[in-house]
Amino acid sequence: MYIYLYDNFLRQKKYDSIIKSVEVRLTDYGIAGKILRLNNFIDPKQIIDDEIKRGAKTVVIVGNDATFGYVLSRAATCDCNFGFLPIGPDNTISEVLGIPVGVEACDVLSKRRKESLDVGWMNNRYFVSKLHILPAKLKVVYDERFSVTANDKMEMVVCNLQPYYWKKETKDTAQQVVHPQDGKLEAFLRPLTKQGWWGYKYEDPSVFPFEEMEITSDSPFTVEADGKVSKEVKVKIKLAHGKVDMIVGRNRKF
Amino acid sequence: MIFQKSTPKNTVDEEMTQFDAPADAERVDEIETVVGPSVNVEGDFASEGNIIIKGTVSGSVHTSRFLFVEQGAKIMANVRAGTAKISGEVKGNLKIRETIELTSTAKILGDIECRVLSVEPGALLFGKISMPGIEGAETRSTKPRNSRRADESTEAGE
Repeated sequence: MYIYLYDNFLRQKKYDSIIKSVEVRLTDYGIAGKILRLNNFIDPKQIIDDEIKRGAKTVVIVGNDATFGYVLSRAATCDCNFGFLPIGPDNTISEVLGIPVGVEACDVLSKRRKESLDVGWMNNRYFVSKLHILPAKLKVVYDERFSVTANDKMEMVVCNLQPYYWKKETKDTAQQVVHPQDGKLEAFLRPLTKQGWWGYKYEDPSVFPFEEMEITSDSPFTVEADGKVSKEVKVKIKLAHGKVDMIVGRNRKF
Repeated sequence: MIFQKSTPKNTVDEEMTQFDAPADAERVDEIETVVGPSVNVEGDFASEGNIIIKGTVSGSVHTSRFLFVEQGAKIMANVRAGTAKISGEVKGNLKIRETIELTSTAKILGDIECRVLSVEPGALLFGKISMPGIEGAETRSTKPRNSRRADESTEAGE
């Protein structure tokens, strides 16, 4: 049995036609199922657990990167298969998973090509796409073997599924990309050095693949994991191998 | 003149970027670990992939593949790598499985053990170099020491 979790933004009128055509395609394939709409007050884990008790085997997330991160960061431990129907803008994870945006995603879903995905674990919660730490004075210890520090503040991004696009300077037109590899998390560190009275300048970044790392600081720093923002003093990040069973496309990038 | 279309120039730029893009993509794929400038790494720094060092590393560095120490980088550690290209400063012993290349800006204070060594004019090196391939090199280096020890023991015996 299939369960479809629709993001709240899909209520907008401009998505009506695509939602209709997706539903028609799913009915054609015989994989249509119960539709649940997400909003800020619904805990995805709770509703997925309830539906699993009622016999649900596959949970399909319908929306964009934010929806994907929101659901899987809470429900990664649920015992079911996950699918993804990317609709609308801001869909970069779907490209990594080899799922086309729009109605064509139903074809991938019907083929049921399943892969186990690694998930990042951070202070008792999961993150799927990426984790972003805003510039702060940080000390990073990798795999309990070596530590990394910078002279001043440091910005950090940990990529799991989502590639990270960055620019050397704000005026730069060319974008640089950090491609996440399978089996490891990618930590992207960018130190800042003081320039002039108030300004800061970004230095060339460092990239470290890792499985476990601990970030500490004397003062609280802001952490954004899958869109959820929190203030922390100590963060432990680990890689949880093969936590999520996901239906993926043939053109996936791992 | 100010508002003149600059189409020919743009097309050249586009062509250039098109040519550069695959090479950059390949390089990004190859490179796994990068230690950027103004970053200090302390401890046993090990990686299974290629390493590029632009900052400071102290402790030990180990990779089974390619190590590149850029100009301005400082390593105060013993280094083990598959192949290496050094343009920065290294204080410590280098044990390289295959080839080591010292560029003109390289400064090395330590012993080098490698199969193939290439040194550009201008590179500074203070240490012992040992390369496998010369028969009897080990026995030659050990013989005098043994004989000296033997002499000392006989003197002590007397």
